[in-house]
Amino acid sequence: MNIIMILYYILCAYIAFLLVWNFIKEKENKDHMLHYLLVLVPLVLRLFRIK
Amino acid sequence: MAAIIGLLTVWGGLQLHRHRMYKMPIVAGPGVTRVVRLSDYSPGLKKTPGDTNVFFLEGKEKGGTVLVIGNTHSNEPASLLTSLILIENMTVEKGTVIVIPQFNYSGGRNTRPGDGYPLYFHIPTSWGEKKFRMGNRDASPLDQWPDPDVYIHYPDRQLLSFLDVRNTNRTWPGRPNGPLMERVTYGAMQIMRTEGVDLAVDIHGAETMFPVTNCIVAPEKSIRLATMVSLTVKAKEGFDSHVEPSPSGFRGLSHREIGDHSDTLPFLLEAPIPFLDQPTGPKTEKLLLDGKDPFLLKLAAKQKLFVPYDEEGWPMSKRVGQHCSVLLELMRQYSRKNPDRAIQVTNVPAYAEVIQNGVGFYYHDPTEADKRNVHYN
Amino acid sequence: MPLNGNHMSIQSQTILILVVMCAAYALAKRRKLSVETSILAAAVGGGLAGAVMRIPPLADLPRHLIEGGFTYFDVILVFTTATIFMAVVSASGGVNYVVRGTIRLFFNLRLIALLVLMIIILIPGALTGAGSVSLLVVGAPTALALGYLGIPKKRVAAILFLVAGLSAAAPPVNIWAMIVSAGTAIPYVGFELPLGIPVLLLSTFSVLFLGWKRTEKKALAEVLEEMPEPPPGMSGWRVALPFVVFFGLVMMYRIWPFATPILGLAMQFVIAAVAAWLVSPVRINILILSRDTVKRLLPLLTTMVVVGMLQQIMTATGVRGLISFLVISIPVVILFISLAVIIPVSEGLLTYGGAAIIGIPLIWFLDSIGLHATVVIAGLSLLWPLGDGLPPTALIGRLSVLVTEYTGSYWSFLRTTWIPWLVITIVGILMVVFSAKLDFLVRWSM
Ligand SMILES: [Zn+2]
Repeated sequence: MNIIMILYYILCAYIAFLLVWNFIKEKENKDHMLHYLLVLVPLVLRLFRIK
Repeated sequence: MAAIIGLLTVWGGLQLHRHRMYKMPIVAGPGVTRVVRLSDYSPGLKKTPGDTNVFFLEGKEKGGTVLVIGNTHSNEPASLLTSLILIENMTVEKGTVIVIPQFNYSGGRNTRPGDGYPLYFHIPTSWGEKKFRMGNRDASPLDQWPDPDVYIHYPDRQLLSFLDVRNTNRTWPGRPNGPLMERVTYGAMQIMRTEGVDLAVDIHGAETMFPVTNCIVAPEKSIRLATMVSLTVKAKEGFDSHVEPSPSGFRGLSHREIGDHSDTLPFLLEAPIPFLDQPTGPKTEKLLLDGKDPFLLKLAAKQKLFVPYDEEGWPMSKRVGQHCSVLLELMRQYSRKNPDRAIQVTNVPAYAEVIQNGVGFYYHDPTEADKRNVHYN
Repeated sequence: MPLNGNHMSIQSQTILILVVMCAAYALAKRRKLSVETSILAAAVGGGLAGAVMRIPPLADLPRHLIEGGFTYFDVILVFTTATIFMAVVSASGGVNYVVRGTIRLFFNLRLIALLVLMIIILIPGALTGAGSVSLLVVGAPTALALGYLGIPKKRVAAILFLVAGLSAAAPPVNIWAMIVSAGTAIPYVGFELPLGIPVLLLSTFSVLFLGWKRTEKKALAEVLEEMPEPPPGMSGWRVALPFVVFFGLVMMYRIWPFATPILGLAMQFVIAAVAAWLVSPVRINILILSRDTVKRLLPLLTTMVVVGMLQQIMTATGVRGLISFLVISIPVVILFISLAVIIPVSEGLLTYGGAAIIGIPLIWFLDSIGLHATVVIAGLSLLWPLGDGLPPTALIGRLSVLVTEYTGSYWSFLRTTWIPWLVITIVGILMVVFSAKLDFLVRWSM
């Protein structure tokens, strides 16, 4: 794996972290909580090199 | 809520992971003399998911050389099925046949988001069902990432869609240290240059609504031979496969770049694959294999298809049979014109036989075979 | 009678699934759920309806949903990084600085001011093929500048929407044309003039039509007084440097494609963001800033994920095929007229997915009746961006409203665009109909 590809995995991890952070902060709106989880799905699967 | 989404993600993720890891056995037949790796010709592929098996079938007598490429696009599986018939059955009397059954190795382990393909398809055989992965047109981003904002073709600098940087029918002729898929096509170019390949046959499938389908695509230098073959199969075996000239302004395609960058005569074979058409019913394994679709049937009645189409659809055996016959005829015609570079093969079924016996008839049980002859792709 | 494939034709099955999808969407909307959640409901509903007939089987449904969620994965990364980049520039005071500069220089030269701002909006989208990048990168400052030129927010949003949309259609990179070209094996060459000329004419028309009239007349001094003061230490080079880095990286690959490593748009934005952060005269907490940016982007990111899911389910169940079939079956003359509706609506529903589903078979068909494919794609390319203003996705429309900070209803914004919308539609359709006569544009481009 080359450096740029590794940087992309780090980028994905960073965005996933931001989503989780927002998800934890969000306590009111169930709709928004669902949305954070939905956007997390592809990021997490990419991080685990599933898809 | 989080638990449900987590569970569904793990469930679906596992299916995708198993698809990527699934190894399909290929039983090398009596004609296979050696199996090498594409990285032997393109060292930049060593230990990468771009590397793939290259099967050599060499005759006792010296002669010409043919390179057959399957699964350039891994969602056009008739090409893989045809390559496997060659590897598992063909014997070469004179000359050499080189077969790369899974050219875009990464694409064969990729799936196509948004297009709802089944993960696998199954071909019935006398010893049970042989299971194949359904791949994607492009290599997986797990193996080549990121894409550029626009793909600039090497060496012509033509602008191509960013997706095409992972499409092994746009990255020809490739570079030894370019993006992974350019190293794949470079490997094939090196085979052609070092092994003195006379004919290169890149097998594909195309939509019934696509004007360039059911045909042999050939550049100027191979168009005469293609025309002879087209006329002969029509007269002798009764199926159409017309000749399409390779456009000179469209870069990166095998039928363009192979001819321009080597002495090899390139041919790209297209057979219809209704599964890939946009206006079809559900994208089922059945549609992939029998090519029967009610919407296409209605469009055929309105003359919006470029191939004949009726209730029979386009069964896989018909498409694979066409590929086999066109390939055999290419070798025959070329050998007749170039006796010193002749290629003579046996045990490859022609169109009518494939239709009669079905594709699975030609595949061997890997559990019964000598382990040394079983290769995984 | 059981709902089983053996008893029901494929056509009636797909129609039934389409009905279930629409019903699930409507039901979710009625329960006051967001557009994004309602799209998800449609996807899940359609998938479950399909599962009854095993198209696809229930066990495959989770896989189809998550695989579909990947359809626009790269777009999600680009959106996020581009917006974080622009947020850094904005937090550093760079945006205020540029707007002040433009206003000071061109306040009394209205025509030039409008055209300069138009070009600024056109460039990022033209280079990347994404109108969203235009809005994310230069949307906020140009919106402010247009506001200070005395244009009400509603009209500013309309200008941004139309010009950003056209920027995506502009050469050199037009993703719709690339998707359709790749799918139809038509070379992506010769698009410069057939795309460039109409895009320039139509954006000029849109900007002047919506922006020429000054609703409130203010003196320059008064406007400058009203504008926020950029932080001390902000200077031209501090604003310019991050952009120079970004466009430099984009141009570097264009100029030396075989020597430049492929960074991808997302990483180019990350590097530009780091540059902006380093030269900022004020200290910026990058963690908090990117967290809040993701929060602000959530509706758009979710849209990209759920639209991909919906698209995957529609294809697996045959609903997408049904829609594509219906479009191709329309008689030619009616088809030309209905392009005005079909193309934008498909874009609004599926974004780029629409270009693949309808665009590809449409081009094959129109090509076969003697139209010039390249010009036809260019003509359609003018219509696709209009769809980015239409729900459920309305990506560019919503971004335009967002960066303009227009608080009125979405529809009131959309209505403002109607005359340029109509003109763009007419030009696009005429290009399709007379494509064979316009083929000289393609020849002159090459
Ligand atoms: Zn192909």
